Amino acid sequence: MEYVSPEGLRLDGRRPMEMRQLRAELGAVSRADGSAVFEMGNTKVIAAVYGPREVQNRSQQINDKALIRCEYTMANFSTGDRMRKPKGDRRSTEISLVIRQTMEACIMTHLMPRSQIDIFVQVLQADGGTRSACINAATLALADAGIPMCDLVTSCSAGYLNSTPLLDLNYVEDSARGPDVTVGILPKLDKVTLLQMDAKLPMDIFENVMQLATEGCKAVANYIREVLLENTKQLENRRGV
Amino acid sequence: MKEEEEMVTPGEVLGKGTEVKAGKGAYLSPHNNTVYAALTGRRSVAPPSPESPDQRPTVEVIGHKAHGPVPEPGCVVIARVTKVMARMASADIMCVGSKSVREKFSGVIRQQDVRATEIDKVDMHSSFRPGDIVKASVISLGDARAYYLSTAQNELGVVSAESMAGGTMVPVSWTEMQCPLTGQIEQRKVAKVGA
Repeated sequence: MEYVSPEGLRLDGRRPMEMRQLRAELGAVSRADGSAVFEMGNTKVIAAVYGPREVQNRSQQINDKALIRCEYTMANFSTGDRMRKPKGDRRSTEISLVIRQTMEACIMTHLMPRSQIDIFVQVLQADGGTRSACINAATLALADAGIPMCDLVTSCSAGYLNSTPLLDLNYVEDSARGPDVTVGILPKLDKVTLLQMDAKLPMDIFENVMQLATEGCKAVANYIREVLLENTKQLENRRGV
Repeated sequence: MKEEEEMVTPGEVLGKGTEVKAGKGAYLSPHNNTVYAALTGRRSVAPPSPESPDQRPTVEVIGHKAHGPVPEPGCVVIARVTKVMARMASADIMCVGSKSVREKFSGVIRQQDVRATEIDKVDMHSSFRPGDIVKASVISLGDARAYYLSTAQNELGVVSAESMAGGTMVPVSWTEMQCPLTGQIEQRKVAKVGA
């Protein structure tokens, strides 16, 4: 199948190095301490953060840092054909773990000993790149909750189809079973916290694809920063500072 | 006090470690000795106090989310008694100072912390009943389960209690409260409110 047309356009009309439209909204869940909705094109994810609060299961308590818990679920209406048994499968367990490890790398857990932070992410619409969208949503929700972080983690994926590196794959491109590199970075500190690829690629091409994904992460980071600053300004205006 | 104010997001550079100190909402990264923001909010720079030996200004980030109050040793809390045992009573903390807590904190009042005198002759069942509202001070963070509370002061103890008949009782002395409906007198460790 042809994923990049001779004119250099992808199936959804994007250029190879073009991202989908980003949209973010803070404070989507009123009961949570922090929450956010994050959209990358048709992928839509909601994240809620609770805590830092007392550890629920005492045996899990860590004496010198906070316990981070993460739960990833996909709504059964999120995919094209309705899902039957969405909870507790291998894929969501793995993504929960990935998100938890990525967020643990940026949260300053040593400031909140003997406490727990819960992150819940749910996919409302799945159109490829849910992993990245979940990480971005979780970052926003953590920032909204006012949890100290050493940097904002952002994530973006990139693939390689028809001998072209493609940024931010959608569902059709993702189903092509080509290489899919998901990268999570700390943009200001220039550190990689997540790197996943489930295929083989020659070293030089891999470097190009990863570079592209990193650029995508930086673009996401700029957008997230704008959203956070805008939100803080609005809150201040409402408070009348 | 504040020299300049601007919005920052986590990861933004606030200054060099040699020039500024990291306050709340900021952190010092050891590997390149730079101060970064850890929260979203306003940056504020406070000058050092004149007598401190370290003459660097402190840079802070003031976030917009207020966290719920947390009990700490020495503060006065309002708690509701949930269970009375022979040597201690357990209670749920509802307010810290004048602020209500957002999540559940449990506390225990041990027998020796009920009153200041004759601490070994205290009968827990004639000091508290489940459902009583108690004013107490936090002695320590306690064990892993509960904060240790004390009512060993005149101003501390039961401030509101319901009688067997269901009426809100009126304090009669520092050990007794009376029900306005039945006139029955019940034993409590009563707090001296006001005056």
